[in-house]
Amino acid sequence: MEHDPAVIAGVSLAIETVIAKAVELSPGTQSRLKQLHPLAIEIHCTQPALKIFVSVEEDGGIQIASYRETKATVSIEGTWLDFSRVATASDPAAALINGDVKISGDTAPLMQLQTIVGELDIDWEAPIVNAIGPVLGHQLAQVIRAITAASGTTHRRMKRQLSEFILEEARLSPPKPELDSFFTAVDDLVLRTDRIESRLKRIKKRAASLTGAIE
Amino acid sequence: MSSQDNLTDDSTDFGYERVKTAEKAGRVREVFDSVAAQYDLMNDLMSGGLHRLWKRFTIELSAVRSGQTVLDIAGGTGDLAAKFSKLVGADGKVILADINAAMLSVGRDRLIDKGALSNIDVVQADAQFLPFEDNSIDCITIAFGLRNVTDKAKALRSMHRVLKPGGRLLVLEFSKPTSPLLSKVYDAYSFSALPAMGKLITDDADSYRYLAESIRKHPDQESLLEMVEDAGFVDCRYHNMTGGIVAVHRGIKG
Repeated sequence: MEHDPAVIAGVSLAIETVIAKAVELSPGTQSRLKQLHPLAIEIHCTQPALKIFVSVEEDGGIQIASYRETKATVSIEGTWLDFSRVATASDPAAALINGDVKISGDTAPLMQLQTIVGELDIDWEAPIVNAIGPVLGHQLAQVIRAITAASGTTHRRMKRQLSEFILEEARLSPPKPELDSFFTAVDDLVLRTDRIESRLKRIKKRAASLTGAIE
Repeated sequence: MSSQDNLTDDSTDFGYERVKTAEKAGRVREVFDSVAAQYDLMNDLMSGGLHRLWKRFTIELSAVRSGQTVLDIAGGTGDLAAKFSKLVGADGKVILADINAAMLSVGRDRLIDKGALSNIDVVQADAQFLPFEDNSIDCITIAFGLRNVTDKAKALRSMHRVLKPGGRLLVLEFSKPTSPLLSKVYDAYSFSALPAMGKLITDDADSYRYLAESIRKHPDQESLLEMVEDAGFVDCRYHNMTGGIVAVHRGIKG
């Protein structure tokens, strides 16, 4: 199915705007991006079929387009699922190299870009201060920081307690050592079944040759 | 006679009206004189901001590079010219052309405000008689302008003449929706809501009624493709956008 170019243009514009804002609020990022010019990445999603191009402009700006005629520096190809796995991985760079995504071209600038993105340090207090002034803005930023820190701690605690509840209290899922032992037993069984199968084949072959000799 | 744009020796379409061929340019000028000051605002309201996305894709298709010369015909308020100005850089040049002095004046003011005039020339010109040397332009765009040209075939030939070999033409224009349901909704919108909005914002319902009518009289995707090919362009194709409400046609000068 062919996608409507206006829809792709809209999504590209939205992503571009968010990236531009993030870069603007992250001191030093624009000058680091400038050094990557003229990097152009072709992202080819095979399922659903979609091709977009991400390029670093001379001024360090990021541009996203659905059409490009000059060859990209590096091309990345995979399904939507493959790209989602990379995006949600704890180490996206390792997931990109070791996963099902195919990469061709010069990967060095791609890794540099990944490092820059990973090191983005967004000064989100600045737009708040610009909008409502330094006194109130700083106070509001402190409140947001406190809420974010508290929700982070709550999230980690909830995650640990939920995991303990599922394993220990409700026993909805077996513990990891038990699972490992089960999988080892399954592997062992598969191995032994294979051995029996090949032994049976050998016996059948010998029986057939003995029957032929008697006749 | 050009059958595809209903032009005869002495009369042509002006929306659903037939007018003398010599009168059409003057009537179109009156429409754009009336809407020039609020043109961008009306475009945003009428299309819900979609015209920016249509133009964005057109710019992508242009594949314009640093140092090139771009001619934006019927460039009006200069939104495409401002984008091209950045793409061609200091070594390149953008020519913003429009037949209408009021639109050009608004466009020039906007470009001055954006500080983007250093590599932009502003020229009042008729698309049928482009005042440029043969083989001198790398890329020509005409966005929402071709349907207002009296003799579209002549304008396309004129564009072909000034383009360099290998140069490309991009025609962004309203077209025919591909779905019958969308077509009905679109008709209802353009003949009821559009003139009402025009009345409210520019106190001029007639100009916006003309815009809706001129869209319906404009050649559909396949007919325009044929016209572009007839003008001498090769490797011609078009991309529908927003269900065919708008299409961008591309042709290369061989």
